[in-house]
Amino acid sequence: MQDFLELAVSAAASGCIYGLIALAYLLVLRPTGIINFAIGEWAMLGAFAGYVLLGALRWPYPLGAAAVLGFMLLVGWATERVAVRPLVEKGAPLLAPVLALLGMLVVFRESVSVIFGPDPRQVPYPLGFGRLEIGPLAGSIQNFLMIGVTLAVFGAAWFFFERTVWGKCFEAVALDRRAAALMGINLSRVTALSFAGGAAVAGLAGLLAGPNLSAHFLMGVPLAIQGFTALVIGGVGRVEGALLGGMLLAFAEEITVRYAPIPPGYAQGVPLVLLMLFLMVRPKGLLRAP
Amino acid sequence: MKNLALWIGAALVMAAAPFFLGEYHGDLYRKLLLWIALALSYNFLFGISGQVTFSHFAFYGLGAYGAVILVVKAGWPLALAVPAGVLVCAAVALAVAIPATRLEGFYLALATLAFGQLFIVVLNEGGALTGGTGGLANYHLPKIAGFDLTGRPYTAVIVVLVLGTAALLRRLDHSWFGRACRAVRDNPEAAAAMGVNVARTKVAAFALTSALAGVAGMAYAFVDNTVNPPIFGLENAFLLLFMVIIGGAGRHAGAVLGAVLLYLLPFGLSPLIGHHHALVFGVLMVAAILLQPRGLIGLWDRFSR
Repeated sequence: MQDFLELAVSAAASGCIYGLIALAYLLVLRPTGIINFAIGEWAMLGAFAGYVLLGALRWPYPLGAAAVLGFMLLVGWATERVAVRPLVEKGAPLLAPVLALLGMLVVFRESVSVIFGPDPRQVPYPLGFGRLEIGPLAGSIQNFLMIGVTLAVFGAAWFFFERTVWGKCFEAVALDRRAAALMGINLSRVTALSFAGGAAVAGLAGLLAGPNLSAHFLMGVPLAIQGFTALVIGGVGRVEGALLGGMLLAFAEEITVRYAPIPPGYAQGVPLVLLMLFLMVRPKGLLRAP
Repeated sequence: MKNLALWIGAALVMAAAPFFLGEYHGDLYRKLLLWIALALSYNFLFGISGQVTFSHFAFYGLGAYGAVILVVKAGWPLALAVPAGVLVCAAVALAVAIPATRLEGFYLALATLAFGQLFIVVLNEGGALTGGTGGLANYHLPKIAGFDLTGRPYTAVIVVLVLGTAALLRRLDHSWFGRACRAVRDNPEAAAAMGVNVARTKVAAFALTSALAGVAGMAYAFVDNTVNPPIFGLENAFLLLFMVIIGGAGRHAGAVLGAVLLYLLPFGLSPLIGHHHALVFGVLMVAAILLQPRGLIGLWDRFSR
């Protein structure tokens, strides 16, 4: 039981990272219909920004983290400006920006590999390596921090979509672009905001996962697959689905590694199998849109 | 008749070329031909049928590993192993195609990406059968009627593969099936209204092109006499997509042009930028989508007019 509870904390922490990545997909996908292949690279950029500002330059953590988020907002905005807006304005089919973002994936990754080389870089722990026990639950401080921050982000996302005019604009655009535009919603501003927000959330995931994973130029694609699997499990229609999917995926992974009698290498296959299974059997995910 | 003579002439010239090249360049030439074969079949799948998939290299790997396992590990005679390998590739391609092509839009891309990654996991964990992360090496193509095909003569096999792929896809493209594929790509509802069976067309295009990738993989198995997992991974699947888009999706000449250009580019660039040619590929890809969605072949059309 002790073993399982320990596992539960670390699984919940990875589940939070997957949930954040899934939320980043969702923020871009809902209003634009674009599946952004570069989301994992955004998380990687967040981790490397954390390495540079907090590790190499030793900025105080709150200031550094805020700067990372600001940088990620800029990255998301620039990604939209370069790879999406020109195509949308030309009236190109939806496939064009998706493929352009796939190209951006390679551009981001290879740029980082040119600048930082192939060695992993350590992102500092904000609160040290300590251990924390809350009742029967025990785990590293970093894991509890990940869970806390993620819950706060999802709370903020819920508030944004349910209680603010901008959130309602997002929903309106997601439901019907044309009608939303006719109602006076500025589509290009919603798109720019969704990319900036998605990049900030993905970058935050990278910054939080950075200390455990180490920043590496190849870390993006696995995170992108895990995040997307979480999104498909939870369902693309609802924000809380992203977190639910992330949790289910992380528990499936950890339980497979710990208890299933198969070689550990096959654990990498867990998100892949779940992704294919859900796409085949229940492509709308567990939570239906309200 | 004249057409057939042309194909045979081309085959002879292409098969004879490595005898005028050095050992190293002959090897590059054979691999370039394989990339062209892959680009042609992927172009039919992506450019002509409009299906964005990342599983093409998994089928290429299935063919390669299948050939080595059947010919070397199981020791089957070639006359039996080759048809069996083709059959396995076609059967797996069909088994993947039927559920995968039901997926809408970009979900197909992600499901095939997951399939491709899962294939690599299985190769890495396959134990003695697949050789694990190191793959299989140090095997040889058995002599055929006492004749050793290894090295330069083997180019003939690849030339037959490339020209066979090109001829088959060209013919299909000009038949009702090619028109059905383009119709399904451009507007599935309209295609269905015109009497095209959308689901069956998608399955047929996916299964056929994936099986062709598998057959190309069987030929690849005896080019280097080694197969290992990274060759069949996501990196090359991306590169193949970039080749087709930069060359000009939907056009056979575009696929060939893109394959030749992106295959040769690293050799020209390496004195300038070392191993960072992937960055150039990414930039070219974004630039092609933004500035010239019809690819290099579209540029060619504009200037030759």
